[in-house]
Amino acid sequence: MKKASLIKMAAFLAASFAIQLSGAKAALAETAEANYALYCVQCHGSAGTGKGINAPYLAVAPRNHTSDKDMSSLTDDGIALAIKEGGAAVSKSTQMPAWKSVLTDAEIKDLVAHLRKMCKCSFKKP
Amino acid sequence: MKGKNMKKTVVITALLALVLASSQAFAADGAALVKSNKCDSCHKMTGPAVKTLKEIEARKAPDLFYAGSKFNKDWLVKFLQNPSQIRPAGTVYTNFLKKGEQDTVAEPPKCASKLDAGGAAAVADYLMTLKDASMKTGVAKLGEFSKAKAKMLIIKTEACNGCHRIEGNGGVSCPTFEGIGARLNPDFVYNFVQHPQQFDPKIWMAKRELAENDLQLIVNYIASLK
Repeated sequence: MKKASLIKMAAFLAASFAIQLSGAKAALAETAEANYALYCVQCHGSAGTGKGINAPYLAVAPRNHTSDKDMSSLTDDGIALAIKEGGAAVSKSTQMPAWKSVLTDAEIKDLVAHLRKMCKCSFKKP
Repeated sequence: MKGKNMKKTVVITALLALVLASSQAFAADGAALVKSNKCDSCHKMTGPAVKTLKEIEARKAPDLFYAGSKFNKDWLVKFLQNPSQIRPAGTVYTNFLKKGEQDTVAEPPKCASKLDAGGAAAVADYLMTLKDASMKTGVAKLGEFSKAKAKMLIIKTEACNGCHRIEGNGGVSCPTFEGIGARLNPDFVYNFVQHPQQFDPKIWMAKRELAENDLQLIVNYIASLK
């Protein structure tokens, strides 16, 4: 009897954990890699170095996401704000649009982590 | 006199019915041509729009299930007889990307279907029946506008030329502005610029917060590029 209760409890916990996992997956619609490949690469380039197909036509060069020097001067919140609200929100170029109409907050958070992997850096206080 | 008027009304009604019937028959011919030309092997002919990046990647040609809201019919008739490249980097630029120190694009394929004048008119008639019921109509207010002001907004402030080729110069990941005024219904331009994701939830053009007069300025400028 006791053993059966324990088994039931374990099954309940496992099911709850599975539901939580699938919920998290549903909230995050696309991976950061996939979002970067469509929305960012057109200007920032497939290598993230700022050499996208549109870059030659932009008045201000797109940021090099692989540059430790450039990226470590930015906070995670600042990067997220630039993606969500556009360059103007962080006193940068208006050529960087606000992506909040296509990316969720969770996807933007994931993109920030992806950018940190690209630059292999974190924010450093100047 | 009364009899004459009655005769006139009957003739006009008959003529109108004939015109309506022939345009419906034409649209039916167009639907048959769309089917026999297998347009749906590349174009999505029925909604709803795709909602995942995987489906975007699989897109071979622009969606046509709201073509009647999007295009001007006269332009469609000409285009269907001689399709040209509207998106310099292809329908979905990522599929033609040549990765390198400076990314470039490979030559994207052109639409292989070319119709004769009659076929093009029939298909255009059919495409014009494919409407987006949710699109606001009668919203574009065309009139006199300052081209200099419009260009300041489009190029300096909104940087549309970052992704679109405008007057021979600009980005390549999105459709060219060359001939865009002849191509697109001004009401569609108004709706699309206001909220691109309304038509295509995963489109790589961000929604912009534009004041009504700025939106109208953009719509007017685009409509002038014929």
